[in-house]
Amino acid sequence: MTLREAYEQLGGDYDEVLSRLPSERLVKKFAFKFLEDENYGNLERAMETEDWDSAFRASHTIKGVCQNLGFRALSDSSSALTEALRNGFSPEAPDLFGRVQEDYERTVRALSRYREEEGGNA
Amino acid sequence: MTEKEQKIKILIADDSEMNRAILAEMLGEGYEILEAEDGEEALDCLTRHGTTISLVLLDIVMPKMDGFGVLTEMNKKHLIEEIPVIMISAEGGAEAIRRAYNLGISDYISRPFDMEVVRKRVTNTLMLYAKQKQLLEMVAEQVYEKQKSNTLMVNILSHIVEFRNGESGLHVIHVHMITRLLLEYIRLKTDRYDLSDGDIQLISMASALHDIGKIAIPDEILNKPGRLTQEEFEIMKTHALTGASMLADLPVAQDEPLVRYSYEICRWHHERYDGKGYPDGLSGEQIPISAQVVGLADVYDALTSERVYKKAFSHEKALEMILGGECGVFSPFLMECLRELSGTIKEDLEKGPADYSGEGGVSIRKAEAMFRERQNRQASPVPRQRSREEAGDGRLGGEDLRRLAEGLELVYDRVRLVDVSSSAQYRIGREGELTAEPYDCYRIWDRKGRCENCISARAYAGRSRASKWERSGGGLYQVDAMYIETEDGPFVLEMIRKLSEEEQSELLRIGRGGSV
Repeated sequence: MTLREAYEQLGGDYDEVLSRLPSERLVKKFAFKFLEDENYGNLERAMETEDWDSAFRASHTIKGVCQNLGFRALSDSSSALTEALRNGFSPEAPDLFGRVQEDYERTVRALSRYREEEGGNA
Repeated sequence: MTEKEQKIKILIADDSEMNRAILAEMLGEGYEILEAEDGEEALDCLTRHGTTISLVLLDIVMPKMDGFGVLTEMNKKHLIEEIPVIMISAEGGAEAIRRAYNLGISDYISRPFDMEVVRKRVTNTLMLYAKQKQLLEMVAEQVYEKQKSNTLMVNILSHIVEFRNGESGLHVIHVHMITRLLLEYIRLKTDRYDLSDGDIQLISMASALHDIGKIAIPDEILNKPGRLTQEEFEIMKTHALTGASMLADLPVAQDEPLVRYSYEICRWHHERYDGKGYPDGLSGEQIPISAQVVGLADVYDALTSERVYKKAFSHEKALEMILGGECGVFSPFLMECLRELSGTIKEDLEKGPADYSGEGGVSIRKAEAMFRERQNRQASPVPRQRSREEAGDGRLGGEDLRRLAEGLELVYDRVRLVDVSSSAQYRIGREGELTAEPYDCYRIWDRKGRCENCISARAYAGRSRASKWERSGGGLYQVDAMYIETEDGPFVLEMIRKLSEEEQSELLRIGRGGSV
């Protein structure tokens, strides 16, 4: 599996990210780093404990990171969730969070597979 | 000074470790990267590293304190003028961006980050700020030249004050220091007085002239070791008004801020917050902050120094007395500031003028700091401890004599040297040389022979100073005589000043038992 293929699987735009972070090495480095990022965990906890403030921030952060890494699908869904949580809870939020969960899992699956095949960390 | 090339420091404030890592990676090896994950950490970093940080990349959405909070603090501490901030938020809404610009950001980089764009924006901003520093230095140079003449004026005048009043230069320096410390502290605590760096600089300088009016006070009252009589006290109080008039009569641009501050301070540094001060009975915030602060500094230093009429009190005792309302009435806010600052004041006064310096560090305000530094060097009078008995200690000649005469001529109408034995009088020339006048000294009063109460004879005999008032040609004159030793021998320096109508009627009123 190439990094490009991994990107396709997670619904990302590989060409776009490559134009901004010009080396594949860099993209790979940060893609792997994403797997360690704790913001998703924060988001889950926050949604569970109904801490809308923290949920907003976590979702916002995830959106930013995904934008930087070209993870289009996850970026879109977390963006939608962020807006829904901007002023506290709103009725669409749980559904939107559902989408985020799906996209996140998809992203992690693709990246983990890629990493396994690469044989270790960058 | 280390020889190692110091890398430019950039602070990245973003709660996402990922984002910080990406940015750091994009910026490359050439910079020293500092990281903060929330607003509080960012401020902490700024406090610690100060203006050695050349740029801040700032996110908006962060826990504990967000980017707007950081910007607000940077504005309060005036750091925003020194350190460029580039906003790197995902919050791209026009309102947020506008708000950030209003809070002083230099630029805004939108997400997603593009390596080339980030690098270029950063280097452009850094270069722009470097250029601005250069420009500021050039401007400061010009402003400095313009201010030099005013500064020289203050310098000369404060020397005259010291010379004529027999004050130690230390009092002037102390009042300057305390005034400055108070003003800077006040500015930290409140915006209400709108004090710029320049204002603080000028007010501190102007404080040197707060007692210039004492030149008009007869020596016997000014340096009387015992208690003053009611009438003597009333005369003493006139120094506030007289000083202000003297400043208003000076051949300088009266609308220059420095002159304006000097006038305010001189006239109103004895007003009281409750309106029971003099000469105008101003109350509360009618009293300009410059006068309020110098009034307090003056009292504080008077209490903690030795004078002819009292010993020095300890700093603690002085604080107690002032806070207890025993030495004039000041605003509660000022009292609060004094109380909070008293430790620092005590320390700095004990350290002495040599250690008293402005802040260091390379910053965009280096230009202002340089300017300030030069002004401080120009404006701080050299401390000369001279008691009355020692007046005329060093032999004066040439340059010194000329400067002295020049300075005195700013406030006196006539300055001359009198040879008591021969009644000859001399002018002090451009090089400090003495030129004999064709007339004997008493002719100035339209007399045919020596004055009965020849003031110079008195000063000469006692190797000291003396004053008198002389009536002549419908006017009242103040005559101050001082024994001095010049390179050409001992003389008496006579300084003559015609009293204004206002001063004359004031004295008349006091003489009749009135009060200021």
